[in-house]
Amino acid sequence: MTRPALRKVERPEDGGPRLAHLDRDRRLVEAAQSDPARFEALYRKYLAQVYSFAYYELRDHHEAEDATERTFLAALANLARFEERARPADGEGASTFRVWLFQIARNAVAERRRRQRRRREEPLEAAATVADPLDVEATAIRHDATTAAVRAISHLPGDRRRALILRFVDEMSTQEIAGILGRSEGAVRVLIHRALRSVARELDDRPR
Amino acid sequence: MTGTPADGGSRDIQDVDALITDRYLESILAAHGRGADTGPTLAGARLDPNVRMAAEHLARDLPRLHPSFRFEEALARKLGEAAARMRLPLAAGGERVIVPLAGRSPFLPVAARDDDDRFRLRADPRLAIGRPLLIGGALTSAALSLAGAAYVAWRIRHPQTSPMARAVRAVARTRLA
Repeated sequence: MTRPALRKVERPEDGGPRLAHLDRDRRLVEAAQSDPARFEALYRKYLAQVYSFAYYELRDHHEAEDATERTFLAALANLARFEERARPADGEGASTFRVWLFQIARNAVAERRRRQRRRREEPLEAAATVADPLDVEATAIRHDATTAAVRAISHLPGDRRRALILRFVDEMSTQEIAGILGRSEGAVRVLIHRALRSVARELDDRPR
Repeated sequence: MTGTPADGGSRDIQDVDALITDRYLESILAAHGRGADTGPTLAGARLDPNVRMAAEHLARDLPRLHPSFRFEEALARKLGEAAARMRLPLAAGGERVIVPLAGRSPFLPVAARDDDDRFRLRADPRLAIGRPLLIGGALTSAALSLAGAAYVAWRIRHPQTSPMARAVRAVARTRLA
């Protein structure tokens, strides 16, 4: 296990240097803040994660692209005002930038959802076939399982669904999800536990 | 308002179950990240078997999605153009420029999270104005300083290959023309 990255920070008002937690994305964020063209590294790093989140939430390819675009444009335009501070309590490899970016994404998705006149179910099937488009046989075998998994989380209410997407698809920590959803870590743990129980019931009820 | 002792006990059990679930998810997601199977774990053994199976199902079968490369490159170009608009006034000697794309973004997280300074935004009352702003520097290409022009020229002589960098150079050429 790697040790958390720490660096010395001069704090004259405290009478000397202290150790501060080094955010995983701090160097990239600082580079982009000093030269906006270098935002591209952050964009490439988080594009798929933001798009995945948007797609699972909106269930429409074009809507997800639109929300993704708005998210990154808003993040770039406001990056100069973002102050990134990871704390040791955030855990190893934490990124407050990622939390901030997903807060923006969550708002962009909510805005798109409000505009959707009705929710369409068909694209869920499309999501189910994207697992491995190059491996037709494996895709066929896994199709049922993937469809069931996607369908099970899509039936969950708002924050339970979002918590599972962020946990399983974007592989975020409980702390990060708490930051994005504006809840305590304990509340997120309970949210995820309850959501999994609902998914278990749904998977148990499906026809075999 | 407080619940009955029974309610409190029920909440405690739920919290413990949620904590066990969380530990188990850490282990299976870490194992998936390494491309390994999850072996037996203490948390897994204590977990409700139905919840454990549901977690394993989601970890294994929920696909991660990627937009089309066409979309990826198109957005990279748009970001590059936006970045160029932000950089040119900087090069002209501006201290900092903020280019709202449509006023202050409605998607930004609420800044007033006083309880958690990790998400604090630098407060600036001028940001409420919904149009491009330059703080402490020149605004237009006509006001390019010598230092700024030299910086832009240096950037153009040191090309990068990415679409975002190409877009930045294209906008720079347009502005300088």
